[in-house]
Amino acid sequence: MIWTVLQINARRLLHNRIEMMLTFVVPIAFFSIFAFIFGGGLGSSTTPKINVVAVDEIETDSSKSLVASLRESPGLRFKRDDHETLDREAATELVRHGLITMAIVLTHDDDQSDAAIHADLLTDASNQVAGQIGSALVARALMVERAQAQQQQSAGQQLSQKIATSLPLDTGSLDRAYQSSVDPGQATPIVPVDFEQSTAQSSALAQSAALAQSAVLALSPVTVIDVIGKGKTNPVVSMYAAGIAVMFLLFGATGGGGALLEERESQTLDRLLSTRLSMDELLLGKWFYLTAVGIIQVSVMFLWGQLVFGVDMIHHLDGFLMMTVVTASAAAAFGLCLATLCQTRGQLNGLSVIVVLTMSALGGSMVPRYIMSDGMRQAGMWTFNAWALDGYDKVFWRDLPVHALWPQLTVLMLSGAAFLLVARLLAIRWECD
Amino acid sequence: MIATAAAALEVIDLRKSFGSLVAIDGVSFSLGKGERLALLGPNGAGKTTLIRCMSGRTRPDSGIIRIEGQSADEDGSRETLGLVPQEIAIYGDLTTRENLAAFGRFHGLRGDDLKSRVDWALQWTGLQDRAKGLVGKFSGGMKRRVNLACGVMHSPSVLLLDEPTVGVDPQSRERIFVMLDELSRQGTSILLTTHHLDEAQSRCDRIVIVDKGKVVANGSLNQLVDATVGRSRMVTVSIDRPLLKPIRLSKSSSELHGDCGGETVSTRIDDVAAQLPELLTTLRDAGYGISDVEVHAPSLHHVFLHLTGRELRD
Repeated sequence: MIWTVLQINARRLLHNRIEMMLTFVVPIAFFSIFAFIFGGGLGSSTTPKINVVAVDEIETDSSKSLVASLRESPGLRFKRDDHETLDREAATELVRHGLITMAIVLTHDDDQSDAAIHADLLTDASNQVAGQIGSALVARALMVERAQAQQQQSAGQQLSQKIATSLPLDTGSLDRAYQSSVDPGQATPIVPVDFEQSTAQSSALAQSAALAQSAVLALSPVTVIDVIGKGKTNPVVSMYAAGIAVMFLLFGATGGGGALLEERESQTLDRLLSTRLSMDELLLGKWFYLTAVGIIQVSVMFLWGQLVFGVDMIHHLDGFLMMTVVTASAAAAFGLCLATLCQTRGQLNGLSVIVVLTMSALGGSMVPRYIMSDGMRQAGMWTFNAWALDGYDKVFWRDLPVHALWPQLTVLMLSGAAFLLVARLLAIRWECD
Repeated sequence: MIATAAAALEVIDLRKSFGSLVAIDGVSFSLGKGERLALLGPNGAGKTTLIRCMSGRTRPDSGIIRIEGQSADEDGSRETLGLVPQEIAIYGDLTTRENLAAFGRFHGLRGDDLKSRVDWALQWTGLQDRAKGLVGKFSGGMKRRVNLACGVMHSPSVLLLDEPTVGVDPQSRERIFVMLDELSRQGTSILLTTHHLDEAQSRCDRIVIVDKGKVVANGSLNQLVDATVGRSRMVTVSIDRPLLKPIRLSKSSSELHGDCGGETVSTRIDDVAAQLPELLTTLRDAGYGISDVEVHAPSLHHVFLHLTGRELRD
């Protein structure tokens, strides 16, 4: 009997392709996506780079040499050429607009000689990885530069070589080595805290390392300045609120679109279309309904975020409403498009789980896109989660004016219109045999 | 079939194929004003395709459909048509009143007209006390009544019903036909497909039998009987011991049918008064005792079997 029960269930599974796919294919697909995100995978050739600009306020040979050496760093991608001059304010705006992740401003160290270079790192604290890795890379380059300067003056070549070899060389080990906590709104000196440990491992270098450490502690060559997070109670809650809201907006829209398939299966659609109701009116009615539900859904979520987590929705109402209306309308069109693509509610359920979860994983609803490789980030731009999240990011995190949302609004509106058009074309087959 | 000016619905030489499958092959018939017409046929005969063509859900390859004298291809011609699908095609998560109001609006009713029509439908279905109940929680018969009411909210002159009583108990069937009788008295022309021969026989004025996409009979029950099995009666006699060999009636020279070894014999007789005594005498003379006699008038069942060679549900 037990064998028969087992057999029956196995046969039922074999006959149900959607369930087979959900059981065996979807887990592999998601494992692959997250493996690509976190483990390199196909994206290993395009490891994440930090988009930066350099502002050289001192323009000495040393500072120019430093910028040149930073340009060679595999972890940094310079967004401006050498000849493009940039001041601190312009660089700050670039960070604020999200066009770059970090600006490296080279300046004189007030407490040191004119030759000593100090770096102010203007960062966006919403990218919690880039600030730490970037500051570690800059600190290393600066210390090498300083050591070389000291070598030229008096200490000789030994110290710089020892410092260089004692510091971590790859971004991964740098990330582990540095435990800088980026406190929004506060300038934080970056100090390699395990420097003592690493240098102490070599008894031969102990003396010079101790000298280097004391020098480094005294110099504090890098200062991290969060240019966006000042005064914000929680820098990343709005990002997660938007991520989760968009994912569930998509699930809600595809579920709502499924009502169309239920109507078709129960012959209600035939009956509706035998009245004065046209397919255009039916689809538009459902689109308006799903959009309205989506707007309410996201509004309630952000209101909860405001009440409990301090997301400042009230002061960003204009941008929030524009993003929410457009995102909800695009999600509604997407839901209808998926529904009209399917024949049955069962098909839609399977397809929507795969598509929505994939889009959410790639588009940043599940994990921040800044930790993805460049290739994954590019792929993410084909999902509308990414565009919606970028828009909400501009509104809540970057405090940008409404007109700065035009790329996101345009893409979402166009994709919404395209989805609606495809849904209408696919629905032709239901109008008349 | 010649179309008449008085017809509420005319179907002329309608054809529809799905690939190599010919679903409707030159079907013609008409539905008179206030008439109740049953469309009978075995599964796959083309009944539902016909209903779909008439309601505009399927586009025929050729042929003409006229509703109230107007071509069905013209805009607004189907506004006088009501459709009740075979499935419960209403919203189970809406109340009775909400369903009725929704379909009323889809049919163009607004304001006081809509309200009065909803009230009428609640009274007509006998569901006034369930007006605020969710339809999904109703019994099958009650759902059928709401399903029916949603199709007549706009007072159609022609009502198409695809198996309106499928899966309901005899009481609910009776209730539904009482409702349809009321519509019929008000002048609504009704075309229904059914698998219940007794419904077609007792509740409809005329019967159209379709088989393999063609109309094989069209007329009242009497006309169909006359044209097929005739007025003869089927007589079945139970005998007291197994039949040893075939027996022939002496005067009419017709043969009594019965399997050798079986204990019943049957024959068709045109004159019950004259031929039944002869039948009984012949059997007695052959040495058989008679335990029972049944005489059956020809029914739609016999007509259907005669025309299609199979049961309705085959």
